[in-house]
Amino acid sequence: MNWRAELLGVEAVLVRNALMASRNVFFFFELLFWPIVGVLSIGLMTRFLRLSPEQASFVLVGTIALSVVNVCQLEVAYAVLLDVWSKSMKHQFLAPIGIRHLTLGSWVVGMVRGTAIFALLALLGWWAFGFDVLRPGWLALGAFLLGCFLNAWVVGVAVCALITLFGNRAEAFAWASVNLVLVLAGIYYPVSVLPEPVATVARAIPLTYFLDAYRASFGFASEFAAPVATGLALSALYAALAHWAFLAAVGRARRTGLLLKMSE
Amino acid sequence: MALPPGGTLAAAQRHSPGANMIPMVSFTGMLAIDARDVVKTFRSGWPRRRETPALQGVSLAVPRGAIFGLLGPNGAGKTTFLSILATLLVPDGGSVRVLGHDVVREAGALRRRLNMASGRPSFLWSLRVGEILAFYGRLYGLAGAPLRRRVDELIELCELGPHRRVLYSELSTGLKQRVALAKSLVNDPELLFLDEPTLGLDPDISVRMRRHIAELRRDRAMTIVLTTHYMREAEELCDEVAFIKAGRILARGTSGELKRRIRLGEVIALRLDPPTAAWLAEAPGVLRCVAADGWVECTVDEAEKRLPELLRALHVEGVVVRNVQVREPDLEDVFVELAR
Repeated sequence: MNWRAELLGVEAVLVRNALMASRNVFFFFELLFWPIVGVLSIGLMTRFLRLSPEQASFVLVGTIALSVVNVCQLEVAYAVLLDVWSKSMKHQFLAPIGIRHLTLGSWVVGMVRGTAIFALLALLGWWAFGFDVLRPGWLALGAFLLGCFLNAWVVGVAVCALITLFGNRAEAFAWASVNLVLVLAGIYYPVSVLPEPVATVARAIPLTYFLDAYRASFGFASEFAAPVATGLALSALYAALAHWAFLAAVGRARRTGLLLKMSE
Repeated sequence: MALPPGGTLAAAQRHSPGANMIPMVSFTGMLAIDARDVVKTFRSGWPRRRETPALQGVSLAVPRGAIFGLLGPNGAGKTTFLSILATLLVPDGGSVRVLGHDVVREAGALRRRLNMASGRPSFLWSLRVGEILAFYGRLYGLAGAPLRRRVDELIELCELGPHRRVLYSELSTGLKQRVALAKSLVNDPELLFLDEPTLGLDPDISVRMRRHIAELRRDRAMTIVLTTHYMREAEELCDEVAFIKAGRILARGTSGELKRRIRLGEVIALRLDPPTAAWLAEAPGVLRCVAADGWVECTVDEAEKRLPELLRALHVEGVVVRNVQVREPDLEDVFVELAR
């Protein structure tokens, strides 16, 4: 493997996504507007409902996770979406790069944006509601963010696969899929409150375990043994599956001609 | 090993209808493209599947260093074939070797050596011209000073200097096409595919674009395969052309060969007073007669023999001949004949 070429492929996508992110107004809304609105409205709701500081922290962790995963996942989906929108899909698949370059480059930008959002929302949560993201410690925080980013990667790559498989019709998945995952993962509630069949599905989602592990440090008993390890193992499994699905979708698009239909 | 431009193209004609079969082995290394019996069918619709045959056994050999034109009406299969050659589309059947690589099994290695530009280019709207070229340069393994040098070269070559920092969305059609051409040269490809490279361009820009394309072959010994609707463009640029219709190659050869093979004859254009003479179509040696823009154009089997006969007959009939032009049929006439 030529590591230099590998890194250049990733760097190309990274620079492209970063430049696009800096010049489009909808990126600003993703980065600032919706996350801030989310934390403020949920935080104010916790006050209205007179939740204890621990309960408020539980809900705010979910709100912040929603924003971080959402932004990072969208950025990964932009690996394909930007080219679908600009109808330049064929050019990147004509170049000697693989889908790993596309998704990794986008993921790095997604993590930078996700970290920026997390820092911003953490400051806002601390200033407005006294919520301290560092209370569980740096290690727990790192594991939580890693879990968010890994889940975002999995969902983002799956969205890329769906778009490559079904074309523009699948665009809606880019915005809808992560919300479905977060609802199932127990964004504002413990998984134990879900009906059993749904709770079983929730236990198959890696983010469930990362949320559980982080919230345990805010005084909520963990529902799982070794949640971080389980979350990492599941993430690795889904990451491999999502990568394979995207690869298969590109192969199919080359056979059906969809790759050309999504180009100029 | 490149063939001299316009040189031993006959070596590649073994796939042509009616061409003499030439032993395969000795020419394989000289070929940029060696496609045999390529079949592609598009399937759409659910639950009722509709099948659209796009290519029905296309065979084509293109020698290295040539400019080769693919001509044909809309929906003939030109772009489908080009996309298969460029590894963007997988054929259903047949075999395709490009620059010695199998387009399906060795697509990765092949992609480093070819590139493509389209006459309807589209790139990311919020990137500047220089950034677009740098992005694709990185995808092809360039970085640092070599990348900057390459981008500078391409911007100079395609006369994009004043537009380097302009967003793609703000460029005119002609400039977008120049960006597409510059992008297609970013990896200095051995084989370049141009899909309708001058589509929708103003005539002066088209002339410049054609000049660029001719220079690419002259200066870099690049093999170029282009599709076009403009017969003049094909005639001016291409060493050889192939006509595709309904997924089949109907004819291939040099412009002169095709005109001879299809026996289009020559055209005698007459400006008459009175302006028409219907009986001309029945005159000996006249294949057909068309009146347009005040001219009567008679396609004849042999102009040298028929012109005096026609002039004599017109004089006898009392028709005044105000102007006469004799010309060879152009590629457009061949196209019209084949597309019929």
